[in-house]
Amino acid sequence: MKRPLISVRNLKKYFNVGRGKFLKAVDGISFDIYPGETFGLVGESGCGKSTAGRTIIRLYEPTDGETIFNDKNIYDLSRNEMRKFRRDFQMIFQNPYASLDPRMPVRDIVAEPLDIHNIYSNSNERRRRVIELLNLVGLDEKHADRFPHEFSGGQRQRIGIARALALNPKFIVCDEPMSALDVSIQAQIANLLKDLQRNLGLTYLFIAHDLSIVRYMSDRVGVMYLGHIIELADSGDLYDNPIHPYTQALLSAIPIPNPQEQRNKHRIVLGGDVPSPINPKENCRFEGRCPYVLDVCKKKEPRLREVKKNHFVACHRANEIIGGMLN
Amino acid sequence: MGKLLDVKDLAISFQTCFGEIEAIRGISFHINKGETVAIVGESGCGKSVMSGSLVQLLQMPPAYYKSGKILFQGEDIVQKSEKEMRDIRGNKISMIFQDPVTSLNPTMKIGKQIIEGIVKHQDLNKDEARKKTIEMLELVSIPQPEKRVVQYPHELSIGMCQRIMIAIAMVSNPELLIADEPTTALDVTVQAQILDIMKGIQNKLGTSIILITHDLGIVADMSDRVIIMYAGKFVEEGNVMEIFNNPMHPYTGKLLGSVPRLNMSRSESLHSIEGSPPDLYKPPAGCPFFDRCDKAMYICEHNMPKRNYHSDTHYSCCWLNCPMAKDTAEGNEI
Amino acid sequence: MGGLAFKQDMFEKVSRKSHKTVEIKRPTIRYWEGVWHRLRQNKLAMTGLIILIIMGIMSIVGTRISGYRYYEQDLTKINQAPNSDYRFGTDELGRDLFSRVWLGTRYSLIIGICAALIDFLIGVLYGGIAGMSSRGVDVAMMRVAEIIYSIPHMLVVILISVVFSTSGTGTSVFILILAMTITGWVPMANLVRGQVLQLKESEYSLAAESLGASKGWILKKHIIPNALGPILINVTITIPKAIFSEATLSFMGLGLQPPSPSLGTLTNDGLAGMAVGRYYQIVIPSIFISLLMFSFNVLGDGLRDALDPKLRR
Repeated sequence: MKRPLISVRNLKKYFNVGRGKFLKAVDGISFDIYPGETFGLVGESGCGKSTAGRTIIRLYEPTDGETIFNDKNIYDLSRNEMRKFRRDFQMIFQNPYASLDPRMPVRDIVAEPLDIHNIYSNSNERRRRVIELLNLVGLDEKHADRFPHEFSGGQRQRIGIARALALNPKFIVCDEPMSALDVSIQAQIANLLKDLQRNLGLTYLFIAHDLSIVRYMSDRVGVMYLGHIIELADSGDLYDNPIHPYTQALLSAIPIPNPQEQRNKHRIVLGGDVPSPINPKENCRFEGRCPYVLDVCKKKEPRLREVKKNHFVACHRANEIIGGMLN
Repeated sequence: MGKLLDVKDLAISFQTCFGEIEAIRGISFHINKGETVAIVGESGCGKSVMSGSLVQLLQMPPAYYKSGKILFQGEDIVQKSEKEMRDIRGNKISMIFQDPVTSLNPTMKIGKQIIEGIVKHQDLNKDEARKKTIEMLELVSIPQPEKRVVQYPHELSIGMCQRIMIAIAMVSNPELLIADEPTTALDVTVQAQILDIMKGIQNKLGTSIILITHDLGIVADMSDRVIIMYAGKFVEEGNVMEIFNNPMHPYTGKLLGSVPRLNMSRSESLHSIEGSPPDLYKPPAGCPFFDRCDKAMYICEHNMPKRNYHSDTHYSCCWLNCPMAKDTAEGNEI
Repeated sequence: MGGLAFKQDMFEKVSRKSHKTVEIKRPTIRYWEGVWHRLRQNKLAMTGLIILIIMGIMSIVGTRISGYRYYEQDLTKINQAPNSDYRFGTDELGRDLFSRVWLGTRYSLIIGICAALIDFLIGVLYGGIAGMSSRGVDVAMMRVAEIIYSIPHMLVVILISVVFSTSGTGTSVFILILAMTITGWVPMANLVRGQVLQLKESEYSLAAESLGASKGWILKKHIIPNALGPILINVTITIPKAIFSEATLSFMGLGLQPPSPSLGTLTNDGLAGMAVGRYYQIVIPSIFISLLMFSFNVLGDGLRDALDPKLRR
């Protein structure tokens, strides 16, 4: 039984939007991430997955909850202690066009973490490390003296990855790293991330809204809806046997790049829109759009519980769905 | 069965301080009535430039029509004046774009924005225009349309805004709808709704649709024919079954292989294409895919391959089609 | 596909060893190079720049050309109109106006540039700290700035000039600069704070934070370099403002100690001559002030256009 690298316990992040109202972006999520694995966090816009990622590495201060790393709750650490911890947690950002400072040459961008933590005093060693990092991500020395605007989106994302690797972190939060890229470039970056994980022993929290890429990248997956995790399972199990009605609808909505399959498949089309995350009611967040809604769903919030081995669902009717009694 | 749109040898370049950037380098295609044609390509291939050029929506200068014709219902768009184009845009040819939120006027009520479109091209009095507005909102399945007409864009979700965009585009029952990445900014469940609406409109009104996208899933869902675009050129064209089941151009094959599928096994890997598309500042004289193709031959570097027809509807531009080639274009990864 | 005869070996597969990384064909154009390139194409801005360079050079050497020093009085040659001996004429004490006007230009430029520089330093520091601080501190700091700025500018200037003036007949350069910057830094601070507030939400600032950077690091390395554009534009506008301020003060008699001339004191001196038709005494320094203002303003406008990325070709 491996010990988790990161444990998130009841994490909450609320934003005060004035007049006593709160936007509950993350409203009590808990999960573990084990060393060497990729944990995928998936959901549509507004579900809170990006906020969760940023709160877990303490870019945002949480409203409640804990993130435990090395037996310590990182939110309890002082600013100095946190600085040291930051060397183990890094982040790769979504927008490769915005996450690199346009005025800095690539060599300074990649070396910035080294400079902040004063790793190298010798500029030759610093240069050597920068080139080493660029090579790791498939770029080379020639690129070090250029500026971000001279590169394509995929190359910029590689620069961002090189920067994240500079301090030899253990854990990297990948916040939608491929969303802004073309499909063939997405594949490049996905393969790069997988290789790096294998060679450097990295652990990833992989956040995305593209379920197909999450399936490809992750070992275990959590599905978020309006600040809650509504289903959590091994990657294959989730995609082959989704239990929560939202997960089923989500998977059904993904168009398959094969015309025969796509035009003949059974579709679950969800009506309505995602309700507002501002001051939500304390019931099942999905009740307005759920085809299986019952009275209890409108009153009581279902807890995330293990309904099959390693498969957790937050739904009052989970057992009925597993039993095939609903369709 | 005349062609609704017939583009012949279109070339468009941009004049910049470096020199000429050849964004579109000689493309030809046609659209028939009532069909959906998808133009697939990745960023930088020129698909947005091409869609803008069909209705003279490019910034000229620095863009300019270098050569070629765009025949819409027999008349050449390239030769038309801005005044003539205003009669065509939003009326006979409509466009919808990727970001509905910035395409709508945030200070104008929804109803007013739709009526604007009606009044510009149609001769209806106030009451008829209002009725038509409600009709259009129903066409795009917006619930409670009477309530929506007095709302502002920021009060609606992105999905709703995209439906409004479609309503505005369809107000004059155009023959051709150009949809430039219409669902890229949308969540997958909302995307499914929008695609259903577009299909419904086509069934009901017989509108031809040019769907510009990089998402092969929605191509498989919606299109009758598919054109693959790379570095300013069309490299393959065929009907949707031909392209997905029998891609003949190496780029098409690789593109299909790089899309992650839900039913992939965990041990399968995604095929990626190394490198990036060529810079169109000094585009290569030969096949634009030469640098990244693993079946490339010496002839490909400096010689542009011509169209080779595999069926009446399916062609690809690749030297592998030449009988002198030892390798074949078949067996591209899917 | 036929028509051309190709040899069979053209159809051999190209052997690729390791994949070479993509060459970038276009030359690197650094940000400020691009800005300069676009600025160069703006004829009006370049005119302004050239005028400023000429006036700058002349303000240094122009006082020696005529052979007369600026303080040399020749009471036999008072109030002469411009002639071959005295290019700009003489004033009521027989002093060569050519030397005096160029020296005046020098003083005006020094005062204007120094005042703008001090504005810049204080503004960037104050605005930068306010922008990066917590909301409470930021609001407090900007309230203080607002209060300072709401004190009537001229009142402060007059008070300081009066309190610090040495012999009562004029003030030193230093006091003048002090008087102008004591409230003048606030608009710059506001601008910088606005830029900081905006840029600290940028994704690269967030990325730096995730790497463990302190707020000071982010401000110094990321925010200020990216905010330099608007700041620079503001500086090119502050200079003519300061020059004009100084001219106004001098016009009111609070200017430099005689015999030191500034364009403002010269204009003031020339007032008396207007009544009797000696227009050159007031017109020439006025034209110089106008030229300086015009040149800095068109340069600032040109800079603003050159910095706007949307116009990038």
